[in-house]
Formats: sequence, structure tokens, C-alpha cells
Amino acid sequence: MADSERRIKDAQMRATINQKLVETGERERLKEVLRTKLIECGWRDQLKAHCKDVVKQKGLEHITVDELVAEITPKGRALVPDSVKKELLQRIRHFLAQQSNI
Amino acid sequence: MGTRAGGSSCPHVVALKESRGLDTFRIILSNFVYCRSPRARRLKAQSCICHDCATTADRLHCCLDCVYFGCYGNQHIQEHAKSHRHHLALDLSYGVLLCGTCGDYVYDEDVNKVIHEEKYRATQGTHANGTVAWQPSSNELNLLQHNPKRRKITHNSTIGLRGLINLGNTCFMNCIVQALMHTPFLRDFFLSDKHECLMMQSQNHCLVCEMSRLFQEFYSGCRSPHVPFKLLHLVWTHARHLAGYEQQDAHEFFIAALDVLHRHCKGDTDYSNHHNPHHCNCIIDQVFTGGLQSDVTCQACLGVSTTVDPFWDISLDLGTSIAQADSQDILTAGFLTAGASAITNGISYTSTSLTDCLKRFTRPEHLGSSAKIKCSHCHSYQESTKQLTMKKLPVVACFHLKRFEHSTKFRRKISTFVSFPVELDLTPFMAHRRNGLDTFSISPGEMCPTPASNENRYSLFAVVNHRGSIDSGHYTCFIRQHRDQWFRCEDDIITKATVADVVNSEGYLLFYHKQLVEYE
Repeated sequence: MADSERRIKDAQMRATINQKLVETGERERLKEVLRTKLIECGWRDQLKAHCKDVVKQKGLEHITVDELVAEITPKGRALVPDSVKKELLQRIRHFLAQQSNI
Repeated sequence: MGTRAGGSSCPHVVALKESRGLDTFRIILSNFVYCRSPRARRLKAQSCICHDCATTADRLHCCLDCVYFGCYGNQHIQEHAKSHRHHLALDLSYGVLLCGTCGDYVYDEDVNKVIHEEKYRATQGTHANGTVAWQPSSNELNLLQHNPKRRKITHNSTIGLRGLINLGNTCFMNCIVQALMHTPFLRDFFLSDKHECLMMQSQNHCLVCEMSRLFQEFYSGCRSPHVPFKLLHLVWTHARHLAGYEQQDAHEFFIAALDVLHRHCKGDTDYSNHHNPHHCNCIIDQVFTGGLQSDVTCQACLGVSTTVDPFWDISLDLGTSIAQADSQDILTAGFLTAGASAITNGISYTSTSLTDCLKRFTRPEHLGSSAKIKCSHCHSYQESTKQLTMKKLPVVACFHLKRFEHSTKFRRKISTFVSFPVELDLTPFMAHRRNGLDTFSISPGEMCPTPASNENRYSLFAVVNHRGSIDSGHYTCFIRQHRDQWFRCEDDIITKATVADVVNSEGYLLFYHKQLVEYE
């Protein structure tokens, strides 16, 4: 009972936060920061090389975006440096702290 | 199995382009993917929800045939495409088209062009200066094809190091050029070819273009020293007070160079024409400009009037150390100015540190009875105290140690040892740190109260040294390469140095760069 209530509350909170992030344009800014950070730390190049390998291995004509995404996602997640995750979390916290009406 | 990732456009997109064109597609893009206005963002925030399961995540798509939003993760958009025979849907994260019937995303040149345009338009006028993917021009493609060899920079590479020939007492210029060439943010700017010359008629008079060429020279891999005659000529024509073969002050040159660069960034050749220096977005201002806050406190009503002025460098007096003196006591005793000048007239200078100089620079100063200022609060002429603090920190902080003393009675050089750290935290000298607190009584443990406190940390990357007397001498500099390697540059001679060599040297100009740079 209490568990499902909490789950509903969490979902509501998540929706509100997401809405705020989109509305203010902060989401786009965060995406931009993340994009830049991932390029800087070499993540993008690593993942690109991995993508190329997968495509070469399966053959260009025999792979869909879905398959490629499924193939690279675990590696992509694992390769994100902790510092990047931390910084992004920090920024999201900072943004939320500034929002008085959440 | 339909169109694959590598394939070109699919028949359904071709049909769409022929029957309805891409206008609907563009409208959806500009409202729900790359929002052009705050209104569009609000709309996006409210309506981008899966119509079936109400999720906002899981790769939302939007149907191109009817008003339907569905997620990809739970197959809702795919099911919609099948049951309604609405083939095409638009991915709301990136704007790419999904063909539900062919079962994959479609790579169509016209569609991609629209996406590119809308993305670019959305980044105009917002703070997120988006990274629009680089599209090589035909010229650049040609260059890439003809130069297939790729260079990799190893940690012991000497690329970027280059000596400069002395053209007759031009060491004051050479040492500043070395410091500028090794300023990370300038290097990145110029090596990515970002300077667009605005000096239409006189492009070969543009000092910024010359800087651009210098960076090419420094990072070309060429090992013979460079002859900066063109630069010298430009300096002579644009900063006439530095013309001639006399010895000049490196600091004066630095400031003059920034000034000319700043003006040329805006395509301005006119000397008198200084329009609005406060709101400039040129590379020089982005890198070097900070804001200095001056708080003048009226001693009668204790009203504070605050002004913020831009600065490119900070000139620091080398007084005796005030480490033992409690600044609060000095303030109440009210002999601050007297104290400072008395020390200046003193016989000897004890060795001091950059931090002490900064403490002295930012402590409240009593303006004395001879300098009464009209208070904006009580509207009377009163004695007041003045305090300088940093309001906005620059990306590159340049500290000028006032080693050359010019007074009416004497001119001399102060060769006192001033220690300076390799890493510097400017938090104690920031404007928000005071607010009634005694800034300097904070214990070292409290200096870093929050995890975000490294945002005011700086690293040393260049030091300009002067040896000799006030009348004649020689400038050399130390510059940092690859994060932790140091080199000593003396005109055309470059030698390896250690960090100890650097911090034990008699620094004249100290260049620090911010460790953490915010993306605007």
C-alpha cells in the first residue's frame, strides 16, 4: 500500500521535474554539456569505433538501428566516466535547488 | 526486410515528399524537438507524453499523419503505425524519421537537411550555443584528401614549442607571445580556425589574423625559431607608444596587445572608437575579462555603494606580509592607507607571497580625511572605506607584481622574492564571500565547504620573469606544456625546466587559467 503510493508519488515527481527541465530549456543545455563532455573524454570516438566494428561484422545491409543500439548500449553505458556522471548530477541538483515551486 | 540502416530513403518518405512535402515535419520539429520559443518549450513539456502509457521517457515518437504521441520502448508507436497504417513517425529526441512499415529509421537527404536547419535555428538566440556538426567545405574536403597523414601528439612531443628571434630589445614582446601561445583557451580557439576577420579593407593589418598565423607557426612542428617581424610591425603601427628599438615593459605590452586584439576582433581600427567595452563577446573578453567589485562604505551612515568594473589583469603591490596582522584591527584603527604607504617607503621588503598580495589587494582601505566622497545614501561628504573584491572571475587570470617603482623621488626595481602556488583558489577573494564576514579568518578546513568549491581553482601555466635593473634588463618566461611539463623560453632558446625552477623564479607576470570552465 505504502509502497505503491510512493511509486505513484515518485512518478509524479519525475514528471514534474522533466516538465520543468524541458520548459526552462535546461534539458537542452544539459544535453549540450553532456555531449561536449563525452566528446572531450573520448567517449564518442570510442563508441563510434565500436559501432563501426559492429556494422562491419554484421554487414551494412543486414543491420537495423535497433540492433545496433541493442549491441552498443551496454558498452556505451559502461564507458561513461564517473566524473561526467557526477558533474551532470551536480548540475541537475543545482537546477532543482533553484526551482522554488517543486 | 525493408530498408536497412545503410540504405537510402524509403518509398514512404518519397511518397510523403511528393504528396505533402516536409512542411508538417518542419513544424513538428520546430515545436517539439528543436524549440524556437519559450512557448514551444512549454507546449513540449506539457504534451510530450505517450498517449498509451503516459511515459515521458522511452524514446517518444510523434505520428506524422495524426495527433498521436507514442513511446518506442513499449512498442506503442510501432503498434499505432500498424493499426492505423500511418507509416511515418518522428523521433522526438533527435528529429529523425522512423518508418513503421519498413521497420527502421530513414536516412533521407532532404529530411536531414531540414533537421540540420531547424537545429541550427533553435540554437540561435538561446544560451545553449549548440554544437552544430561540422560540415567540411569543398576546400576542406580537398585538403583532407590531399593530406591523409594523421599526426598523433605524444606526451613527449615538442609540438607547440618554438623560439622567437629577438629583433632588437623585443624580448618584452617575445615573452608575452610565448604566454599567449600557451594559453589553452586561445590555442583551442585559434587552432579550430574560429577567427573571422571583420576588418574588411585591411585584413593584413589585423592583429588577430596575425595571432592566428602565429598559432599555425607554433603548432606546425617546425623546429627553427620564428621571426616575428610581421607581428612587431603590426604592434608598431597599432600601439605607437611601443614603437622603436627601446626596451619596453612586458606588462605594458601585454595590455596594449589585448587592447588591439580586442578592437580588431570587432573589426575596429579606429583608436578613439571605444564602443561599449562592457558587453563584448570577443575571444579576448571571453578569456581575460573579469569583474572587479568596489564597495565604498560611508563611515557616517554605513551605506554601501557598489560598482563593478571589468579588468584584464590585476596589479599587486608588494608590501610586507600582513599575515600576522588581523585586518579587522587595522580597519578599526584606521591607518590602512598610512600603513600601506609607510611600508612602501620602508627600507626593505621582506619576502611575501601572492596570497598575501591578494589579501592586501582585497582588504578594506580607509580613504582618509583628504578624500571625502559624497555618499549616495546620506548625501553628504564623508570619510569612507573602499574594498575591492572579485565579482566575476576571468578564465585566465593575469597577476602583475609591481616590481618597478616609479615615484617622484626615485625609480627602482624591487627584487623581493614573491612565492606563488602552482594551484590557486580565488574563493577567499570573491565578492560573495565577504557579506559582513571577515574573509580571512576562515580556517583552511572551511575553505572548501561544498563539493562544487573547485570552481574557483586556477592552475599556473606561464610566468614572465625580468632580470636586471629598472633601466636595462632582459625578459624570459616559463611556459607549461602538456599539463605538467615546463619549459623556459629565452627568445630563440628553449630549455626544459622543472616546477621548482618556476616557483623559485622572480616572477613578474603570473598567468593562471581556470581549472573548471563553465559552458555558457
